[in-house]
Amino acid sequence: MTRVSRREFVRLGAAGAVAAPLVLDPTRARAAAPTAQDVVDRIRKSLGVEWRADTVDTFKAGDPSAVVTGIATTSLATIDVMRRAVKAGANMIVTSGPTFYSRADRPTPPAGRGRGAAAPPAPDPVFDAKNQFIRENNLVVWRFSDHWRLRTPNPFTTGLIDTLGWTRNRATDDPLRVIVPSMTLESLVDNVNGKLNARGGMRVVGNRQLRVRTIGFVPGSVAIQTTLSVLPRVDALIAGEIREWESSEYARDMVSEGLPRALILLGRTLSEDPGMKVCAEWLATVVPDVRCRWMPVGDPYWRPA
Amino acid sequence: MTAGDVVERIRKNVGVPWRDATYRDTFKAGGPATPVTGIATTAFASFDVVRRAVAEGLNMIVPHEVTFWNDRDDAAIVSSDPLYTQKLDFLTRNNVVIFRMHDHMHDQRPDFLYVGSARELGLDAKYETAPGSHRFTIQETTLGRLAAEVKKRVGARALRVVGNPNARVSRIQLGVGYATPSVNDAAIDVVISGEQQEVDGGFDNPEYVLDAVELGIPKGWIMLGHAVSEEAGMLEMAQWIGRFVTEVPVRLIKAGEPFWAPR
Repeated sequence: MTRVSRREFVRLGAAGAVAAPLVLDPTRARAAAPTAQDVVDRIRKSLGVEWRADTVDTFKAGDPSAVVTGIATTSLATIDVMRRAVKAGANMIVTSGPTFYSRADRPTPPAGRGRGAAAPPAPDPVFDAKNQFIRENNLVVWRFSDHWRLRTPNPFTTGLIDTLGWTRNRATDDPLRVIVPSMTLESLVDNVNGKLNARGGMRVVGNRQLRVRTIGFVPGSVAIQTTLSVLPRVDALIAGEIREWESSEYARDMVSEGLPRALILLGRTLSEDPGMKVCAEWLATVVPDVRCRWMPVGDPYWRPA
Repeated sequence: MTAGDVVERIRKNVGVPWRDATYRDTFKAGGPATPVTGIATTAFASFDVVRRAVAEGLNMIVPHEVTFWNDRDDAAIVSSDPLYTQKLDFLTRNNVVIFRMHDHMHDQRPDFLYVGSARELGLDAKYETAPGSHRFTIQETTLGRLAAEVKKRVGARALRVVGNPNARVSRIQLGVGYATPSVNDAAIDVVISGEQQEVDGGFDNPEYVLDAVELGIPKGWIMLGHAVSEEAGMLEMAQWIGRFVTEVPVRLIKAGEPFWAPR
């Protein structure tokens, strides 16, 4: 087992630029429906975040010059999401997660372990079916991850807070933290579990009877540096996914030493679902001539009884 | 005997060339000169494990994983946190020496992490397609029944599964820790392993299995958690060290599963 390829792929706390006021070209708005490339151009112009040269936010499938009939936003471009998009009349998918099962996001399977990089990948019915579905339905898939999370405040966080019903509980000095009426960790976890319709992905480190008032949020993937900076300042931290040799061990040590802290893990996809709802709402203001809908993925996990 | 003596015997017996460049398999607390009163193996040198080892009179800990919450046990990342100082002080005050065994455990044959996990899961050698393949063919069952059986055997409260519970499966590929195999291999139905990055990795099994479910292709992904997956094999590690370190007690002290899950 080697870990040389591990990357820090999330940079939380990076200061995003202030969102630019929406300026829509009126001639464009009256013109024919935009192409997928037009949509991306408008996003880049309106987002208020400087575009990076090195980014995963690129087209993953389909023809950027295709006229967009509707947009579906999602945290993961699964076949299920694509089927729902097609049913809703949308041909452009805007996804925060990959389409083809890796950060590289290539439409062909990677060469198998031990087969050598030079060997052609074995045929794969899942890749084949997904490519075929995209082709037959003229779908265009564009990834929107690096830049969407750089918006200030981070829409993945505000979306999660809104979905959990704590919009009015945001701390005055920090929109990414909430202060709630004191409750036990156990009731907090049940509450979050219910509100997000989690099936089996939620995992918790902490004492069930801990009293919680201040809650921090880091949806997405969380490196130890972030946990070290946030967890000591809150009672409970609600995160997407962590590495189990990092944040959960740190939280375990905190708890065993009697520090009143807890770490709640949602899973990456479930933690990012609400942020893509925010994205659909925002896109509707940027591309008012196209219908934008959110397609939640839900909790991919279940647990045996 | 000193910790240096123990490490010397480990190096002599491990049966593979020592990786001099390893940053993992080094002293994380204490050093070679520390006299050893007893040895505890564990998945993680958690604060709780350290306390229990000291209480049991074992002052040398051999964890497979980290002590200070990052892969390199790099103090620069954690040293501003008071808990780091507290843990380090406790280790120093109690004369505890920590020597990590990670890279060389995975190099060693057999890799005890696989041996231990397979033992705990009931994946006997007679089910393995070839020695060392970590691929097992069991009697056909459903993913739901398999996951329930796995949970019962390893006792993981927060085990997680992706896949259709009714999918009929028989071919299992076992991984350990973060070394989680890709589930898209046509010759396997289910991957059982410790941990995997959910999204944006080299191959994202969760998304792949979601799509396979949608297509009616029987695939499953069962994650035990990193500690649960690799802790079993630390029993084999303790027994192995006990063969050439007979002067002091050697035993497993379980870090255990850090998580619980809502009902």
